[in-house]
Amino acid sequence: MQDPNRKPRRADGRNNRSLFRRTIFLLVVLGIGIFFPLVAQLYKLQIVEHEEWERRAANQQTKSVSVPANRGTIYDREGRAMAMSATVYKLILSPMGVYGAVEKKQYEKDGKLDETAYEKALYDLRKTIVDGIVDLFGYDEERLWKRIERIDSGYEVLYFELEEEDAERARQLISEKKLSAGLQLTPSSKRYYPFSSVGSHILGYMGQTKDSGENKVGKAGIEAGYEDVLSGELGRVVTSKNGWGMEMISGYESYFDAQNGYDVTLTVDERIQAMLEQTLAEGIETYDVQNGAFGLAIDPQTGAVLAMASSPDFDPNNWDVLLSAALKDEVEQVKAEEGDDAADDAWKDAWNRQMKNRALTDAYEPGSVFKPITVSIGLEEGAISMDDHFYCSGSMTAGPGLKPTHCHKKSGHLDQTLTEAVENSCNVALMTIAQRIGAETMWKYFEDFGLFDKTGIDMAGEGGSIFWSGGKEYFTGPYGVQSVASSSFGQTFAVTPLQMISAFAAVINGGHLLQPYLVQSVADQDGNTVFYHETQEVRQVISESTSDKVRGILESVVANGSGHNASMNGYRIGGKTGTSEKIDLKGKDETNDDVMCSFMGFAPADDPQVLVLVVYDTPKRSAPGSNYIASGTYISGGNIAAPMAGALIANILDYMGIEKQYSSDQLAAADAPMPYVVGKELTVAKTAVQSAGLECRTVGTGNIVTHQVPSAGVSIPGGSNVILYLGDDAPEGQVETPDLTGLSPTAAKTKLEELGLFMRAAGVVDYTDASVVMAAQSVDAGVMVSPGTVVEVRFVSSIEYGDQ
Amino acid sequence: MARKAKRDLTIEQQLARGPIDLPFLALVMLLTAVGLIMVLSASYASAMYNLDAAINTKGDPLYFFKRQFGFALLGVFAMFVISKIDYQHFRWMSVFVLGASIVLMLMVFVPGIGKTGGGALRWVSIFGIRFQPSEIAKVGIIMFFSAGLSKRSGQPAPPKKWSKRTFTGRMAARLDRVGLLELLPYGAVLAVVLGVIALQHHMSAMVLVVVAAASVLFASGISLGWFAAGGALVGGALIWIITQTDYMKARIEIWQDPFLEPRKGGFQPIQSMTAIGSGGLLGKGLGNSSQKHLFLPEEHNDYIFSIACEELGMVGACVIMALFALLIIRGFWLALHARDRFGTLLVVGITSLTAFQTFFNIGVVTNFLPPTGISLPFFSYGGTALAIQLAEMGMVLSVSRQIAAPKAE
Repeated sequence: MQDPNRKPRRADGRNNRSLFRRTIFLLVVLGIGIFFPLVAQLYKLQIVEHEEWERRAANQQTKSVSVPANRGTIYDREGRAMAMSATVYKLILSPMGVYGAVEKKQYEKDGKLDETAYEKALYDLRKTIVDGIVDLFGYDEERLWKRIERIDSGYEVLYFELEEEDAERARQLISEKKLSAGLQLTPSSKRYYPFSSVGSHILGYMGQTKDSGENKVGKAGIEAGYEDVLSGELGRVVTSKNGWGMEMISGYESYFDAQNGYDVTLTVDERIQAMLEQTLAEGIETYDVQNGAFGLAIDPQTGAVLAMASSPDFDPNNWDVLLSAALKDEVEQVKAEEGDDAADDAWKDAWNRQMKNRALTDAYEPGSVFKPITVSIGLEEGAISMDDHFYCSGSMTAGPGLKPTHCHKKSGHLDQTLTEAVENSCNVALMTIAQRIGAETMWKYFEDFGLFDKTGIDMAGEGGSIFWSGGKEYFTGPYGVQSVASSSFGQTFAVTPLQMISAFAAVINGGHLLQPYLVQSVADQDGNTVFYHETQEVRQVISESTSDKVRGILESVVANGSGHNASMNGYRIGGKTGTSEKIDLKGKDETNDDVMCSFMGFAPADDPQVLVLVVYDTPKRSAPGSNYIASGTYISGGNIAAPMAGALIANILDYMGIEKQYSSDQLAAADAPMPYVVGKELTVAKTAVQSAGLECRTVGTGNIVTHQVPSAGVSIPGGSNVILYLGDDAPEGQVETPDLTGLSPTAAKTKLEELGLFMRAAGVVDYTDASVVMAAQSVDAGVMVSPGTVVEVRFVSSIEYGDQ
Repeated sequence: MARKAKRDLTIEQQLARGPIDLPFLALVMLLTAVGLIMVLSASYASAMYNLDAAINTKGDPLYFFKRQFGFALLGVFAMFVISKIDYQHFRWMSVFVLGASIVLMLMVFVPGIGKTGGGALRWVSIFGIRFQPSEIAKVGIIMFFSAGLSKRSGQPAPPKKWSKRTFTGRMAARLDRVGLLELLPYGAVLAVVLGVIALQHHMSAMVLVVVAAASVLFASGISLGWFAAGGALVGGALIWIITQTDYMKARIEIWQDPFLEPRKGGFQPIQSMTAIGSGGLLGKGLGNSSQKHLFLPEEHNDYIFSIACEELGMVGACVIMALFALLIIRGFWLALHARDRFGTLLVVGITSLTAFQTFFNIGVVTNFLPPTGISLPFFSYGGTALAIQLAEMGMVLSVSRQIAAPKAE
C-alpha cells in the first residue's frame, strides 16, 4: 500500500500547479485574447468601412424634401411671355392619416374596444372628407372611397394642379371640418401658355417621364431642349428623421436653396408666328389641303427664326387632346366605321401628326423653289450670265438613252432670257444650266449650301436630308446624269424646310450661309444676360454680286412671273414658287400624283428683312387626274402658296413697320385723306377732291355740298370715287356689303362705289388682265356697313402652269 | 448586534474581515457607472417615443435609466453585503442556490408567475420583481461546481474496489481510471439545468451555463481529453445543425451577408453595423447617436454597445473594452491568489462567465459572431440582471478579502 500522506500532498501540489497554469491560461485567453478579434472587427467597421456606413446612416437618417424651383419664362423677341409658370396646389390625401386620426383608445371601455362606435367614427370622418371633395370638385365618389381605404398609404394625390381659388376652397374645407390629418395642400407649379397653340411646336410642352416621377419636365421643343436652363435646380430641405420616418427629436434641418430657372428669350415673334399659323390655316381651308401645311419665317440677315409652324398643331396647355376639328372628325369617322380599337390607333396616329414639327423634322422635295439656288451656282461659277438666252421646246433629254424630261408647259417656253426662264419656272432652262455647271460643281455647292448637314439649329429633333444613295460617285458618274438634271429644279432629293430656307437665305442675303437659331438670349432671374446668341456664319457660299443678281430675278418672278400672286402693293417682294412631287410616295406608287405647293418669298427685295417659306401638302384634286381643286383653282405653288405667302409677307412687313415703297402706278392708288368740302361750292369742292388724288360723283341737285362720303380726314385709296351730296340729299344710314366673288378689279370697284363704299385693291391689281379675279374681301358679303367704308379686296391671277 | 472584537474571532472570521480588493471594486464601479450613462443615452429616445407595447414608459425619457439606476444601487448594496459573507459559506449555499434556480426556472411555466419577454417564456415575477431565473442558474452552477471540484485532490480518496470478476465491475474500474465516474455527477447536474433551460428555448443561457461550467471544470484540472471530446461533440453537433437544418443555414448565410435580407433577418446586424461604422474613430459624441432613434432595435439592451461605439467612436469602445479586460485580468489575478481552491474556482467561474458574456455580446453586435441574445454585463438594460451581476462581483470581492496581504518589505 502506498503512503496515504505523501501521495495526496504531492498530488495536491501537482493539482495546484495545474490549477495555477490553467487559470493563467484562462487569464491570457479571456483577459487579452478575446479582445483581439473584437478590436479588429471594430477597426474594420469604424475605420476601414467608416465612410460607407456613414453614408448608409445618412441615407436612412435624413429625409430630403425637394423645394421646387421656379421655372424660367419663355419670351418671344418682343418680351411677350409665351410660356410661364404659376403656383398651383397639390391636394394630397393621407388615408393613413385619416385612419390614425380616429384613436382606438377613445373607444375603449375597460380595456375593450367598442368596435361599432370606433368603426362609425372612422366611417364618419371618411365620409366627411369624401363628401367634401366630391362636393367641391366632383371627384368620382366610388374611386375616392377606394383610395381613402388604402390605410397603408400616406400619399394619394387627388389633384395635381388646383388653382388658387380651388385651393382656397379646399383650405376652407380642411380648416372648417378639421381634416388636416388627412388632407393637405402643397404648392407646386403649373405651366401656362398664354397664346395657347401659337408656337406650340417651338415651345413644346410639359409632361411627366419615367424618371421625373411626379414632377413635370419639358417634353418637346424649347421646353425640352432647354430643360436644364429653364428648370433651375430643385432646392432641398434635409431633415433628420427617426426609424419611423418622423422628425427626429433633437434633430436638425439644413436648407439648400432652390435655384430658379433662367428665362429664355426666343427669336420668334408671337405676332409673326400667329400670322404664319393663320396663313397656313387659311390656305388649308381655302384650297382644301389634305395633309396639312408647314412654314417658316426667318430673318435672312441673321438666321433668326421669326416663326416656325406646322399644321395641324396642338395646345401645350392641353397637349393630350386633339386640337384640330379635322383630326377629331377623322378619328370619329374611324370609330364609326371600324370600331374602338381602330379608333385608338387612329387617335394615336392623329396625335402624332399634331405633335410633329414638320418644318424642323421632315425632309420634302423642294421643287422649283430650289431653282434660284441652281441659278446662283451658275452665275457664281460663270457658267451662265444674265444675258444668256435659253430655248425651251417643251422637253429635253438629259443624256443619251434617257427619257425626255418635260417642262410643265408642254408647248415650250421658246426663247427666254435668264430672268424670263426663272419667271416661267422653266425646267428645260434649268436643266441646261445644270449641264453647264457640271455635276462635280453642283455637288460641291450642295455641300456648301449645307444641304448634306443638319443646320445645327438650337432645337432637338432636327431632321436630315435625303440624297441619292450612291452619293457623290453616283451623282458625278454616268448614271447620275438624270439626277443632275432633275436636281436643278429641286426634284429627286429631299431637304428639310429649315435646310431649304437657310440655303435660300444665303442666296438672297449676299451669300452668307447662316446657322438658324431660335434662342436669342438667356437671362437669370435678376435680368442678367447669361447667354446671347451672335449670328453664326457657317460660310460664304456665293458672292455679294451674284446674290444681288438673283434677288433681281426673284423680284421679277413676283412682279411679272409665276409668283405674280404674291405681289402686294407697296412692297417689293421677291420669291419663287414650287409645285413638287412627293418623292416618298412616288417611289411606292407611280400613280400617286400628290403634290406640295410652296412659295419662298422675301421682302423688301433690295434689302431682305424677312424670308418666308410656306408649303401646303396635297391640295385635294376635284377629280383624280384633275389639275384643279373643287373650287376651281389650278393646283400650283403660284396659285395656292404664292397668294397666301404674299399676304403674309405684307402683314409681316406692316407689323415690322417697314415703309411701303410704291411705283408710280401704285403711288396713284395710294391712300389719300378726304378733304373737308361740306358747305363749299361744287366747283371748289371738286378741285379740292381732285387735288387730293380722288375722283368724285354727285348726288342730288344744287351748288353747295351739303354732305360728303367719306367724312373729312378718312383715308381712302387714291382714284376712288367720293360722293358729294348736293341740296337735300343725304347719305343712307347703312348699306349692305356686296358679294364680289368672281369679279375683276374694275367690276368690283364699280360695284362698291355704287353703294358709297371704297375699294382698296390688293394682290394682283391688274385692271387689264381678264384672268385676275377677286380672291378675298375684308368685309364679308351681307354685312351692314356705313357708307364710306373702305373694303379691302384681294385679287389673284389664275396662272395655269405647274411650275414644278 | 454589537460587533465582535477582533480577538474574539476565529482565524476564518478574521480573514473574512480582510480588506476587499480595491482595483477590482473600482473597475466594477466604473463599468457600472459607464454602463448607466450608456443606458441613459441609448434608451431616452425609445423611452420617449414609448413604442414598445410591453413596457409603458409614459413618454418619460428617463424611464429606463431610473429603473436601471435603482437596480444598480440595489446591486451595489447587495455586492457589499455579499462581500461581507465568508465565502466558505457559499459551499453549502451553492446547493440551495442551484436548487432554487431550478425551481424558479420551472415556475416560469406556472401561470401568473411566469412572464413572457421578447416572445419567450423566460421570466418570473415574484413580489413585483421580474427576472430571469436562468441568471441565477449560471451563478448556481458555478458555485456548485466550484464547491464540489475544490475537494478534488488529485487522487480521490481510496479507490473503490470494483469487482474484477464481473464485466460491469471491470468497466466501472476502467471508467473510474479515466475519470469519467468522477464527472458523472457534475454531468448529471449540468444536464438537469440545461434541460430546464432548454424547456424555455433559451439557447444563449445554455451556452453561458455550459461555458461557465466548462471553465470551472477546466481550471479544476479535469483531463484535457474530456474537453477535447466535449468540444468535438459540441462542434460536431453544431456543424450538423448548421449544415442539416435550413433554418440554421439561412441564419448563417444572413450572418455572412446581412444584405441578403436587409429588411428581415439582416436588419438588426445592418443597423448595428451602421451605428458602429458611422461612429468612426472618435464617435458622434455622447448622446448624439442617430441610430438609437428607432433605427436600431434593442438599442438599450443587447445592442447597447453599438450605440456606445456610435457615440464614443472606436476610441471610446476600446476604453470600455479595456475596462472589461482589466476587470477580467484582475479577476483571474484574484483567482490565482485566492486562499483555497474553492475561492479560485469560484472566481474563475464568475470571471470567465463575465468574459464570455462580454465576448459574445460584442462579437454579436459587431457581426463577428452570428446573432445570439447575450447581454453585455453592466451595460445592457435589465435591472435584475445587473443586480445579480453585481452580486456575483460581491462574491469575487468576498474571496478577495481572504487573500493574504503581501508582506511588506
